[in-house]
Amino acid sequence: MEHVDVVCPFCGCLCDDLEITVEEGHITGIKNACAVSRSKFLNHGSHRITSAAVDGKKASMKKAVKEAVEILSNARRPLIYGLSSTECGAISKAVEIGEVTGGIVDNTASVCHGPTILALQQVGESKATLGEARNRADMVVFWGSNPTAAHLRHIVRYSVMPKGMYSTEGRKGRKVIVVDVRQTGTTRLADKFVKIKPNSDFELLQALRATVRGDELPVDEVSGVPMKEIKELAEEMKNCKFGIVFFGLGLTQSEGRHMNIDAAVGLVSELNRHTKFVLTPMRGHYNVAGANTVATWQTGYPYAIDFSKGYPRYNPGEFTAVDLLASGEVDAAMIIASDPAATFPADAARHLAKIPTITLEQKTTPTTMLSKVVLPVATAGVEAEGTAYRMDGVPLRLSKLVEPPKGIHSDEKVLDMILEGLKEVAQ
Amino acid sequence: MVTALDKIEVTLISGRTAKQGVGLEEGKPSESYVDSVRLIQLCPGDAEKLDLKEDSPVTVTTEHGSVTVHWVEEKTLESGMIFFPYGPWANQVYNSVTDGTGMPIMKAVKATVEAGGKVQSLTEIVDSLKGGS
Repeated sequence: MEHVDVVCPFCGCLCDDLEITVEEGHITGIKNACAVSRSKFLNHGSHRITSAAVDGKKASMKKAVKEAVEILSNARRPLIYGLSSTECGAISKAVEIGEVTGGIVDNTASVCHGPTILALQQVGESKATLGEARNRADMVVFWGSNPTAAHLRHIVRYSVMPKGMYSTEGRKGRKVIVVDVRQTGTTRLADKFVKIKPNSDFELLQALRATVRGDELPVDEVSGVPMKEIKELAEEMKNCKFGIVFFGLGLTQSEGRHMNIDAAVGLVSELNRHTKFVLTPMRGHYNVAGANTVATWQTGYPYAIDFSKGYPRYNPGEFTAVDLLASGEVDAAMIIASDPAATFPADAARHLAKIPTITLEQKTTPTTMLSKVVLPVATAGVEAEGTAYRMDGVPLRLSKLVEPPKGIHSDEKVLDMILEGLKEVAQ
Repeated sequence: MVTALDKIEVTLISGRTAKQGVGLEEGKPSESYVDSVRLIQLCPGDAEKLDLKEDSPVTVTTEHGSVTVHWVEEKTLESGMIFFPYGPWANQVYNSVTDGTGMPIMKAVKATVEAGGKVQSLTEIVDSLKGGS
């Protein structure tokens, strides 16, 4: 059977033009996919967890769920974390579990674009969809982002190459600028590569903003970039028709963090006195934007949400997973669709091995390897349907293409089983 | 003849690679994933300074930790800068302090690189998180 317009559940691009062939319940062919997407669809069965486990021993799903309920109901301060690589229904259930247990709900935004959210809550944003970028942009700036490594079809499908309604010349009609500390695949296809000193994005963003405003800076260079080049760049930005900044973790994971984004928004704001300019974060995991969106619907806050008082409170830096684990504050954890043991600094990851950790996962990961309870789940977008939010905030529907292995349920279903168990214990 | 240095000071930049993405979708225990993240990239000049042999490991150290990995040359990197793909090995050298933001610093970290050390397997890395060796 041929499936068309399938949405890829890997990165924040959520490319929705995949063509997938399914024969006898197996994916046998895939078109329009990048290398990572191809790997995801064709390898979804490899290194698979085939059975639930408690304390490293195989257990029935019923027993493992019961164990998970016991851990969460006995915990004084449980952490519920992850959620960026699953669909919105599961995210909604996880937030409800956070409320029922009086725990803390955080998602992987806290270690990717959490600083972006912090900044945008302070200063707002001028944004556009990827469709608008494709159809209108004549200047594309990649700042601290490298889509040739992390968002493989972004350049081809949305930002640089495609011909759009008003960008009829495609690549030829677009000026591409990359600001980065090192050469990458993206710098190689740029019209201009602005190489800056590490940890100096904030200074360059502010210098550009001042220059766009018309201020003369009495210096020869900023962040390793000569003033002459900064002035030229400012003029080019002012004179485009529709510019867009796609920024990545080069801004959020280096010194300055949220203040770098604040400065980027300030630059874009200043540019809007001259032309149309917008900015978009390059969200990594395919539904991290959905994790923020669903959490905000239900609690008012996008991540770092504490329910211990019986109502949601928000405080990144206090209720964020790395901080809670590094300080040893949480006494149990439930990890959904994420692998903090492979993505957090070791000091923080180590605490997951000290406390009872429950992990919902399709494949063996460092986190499942140190978890007390492992609950195997279906792969959203391959074996389970649902909704995910693209990096620009556009919701798209994920497909169910094949059946999950026997006895394996979706994240939402397993979380619902845990939620029901918790409600029974509470009565 | 150039005398090899014991260690060099570098700026560590972390990030994604396409190989890492392909590998993680195969599975974290897969050779494809492990090989994609259990290494650093550095420029040929810095490899020469340390007199690195093709299959010899290197040890990356920051004030927060130390880890031994393989290395590959990357001509586009400038001297004094290394690239370390995100993953369980890179995480051994990062600070978990977030300065009230929730976000640890994973880019532009001061580090040293020296030849030698023993490269750990994924299981050994997980065991070390459990408090083992």
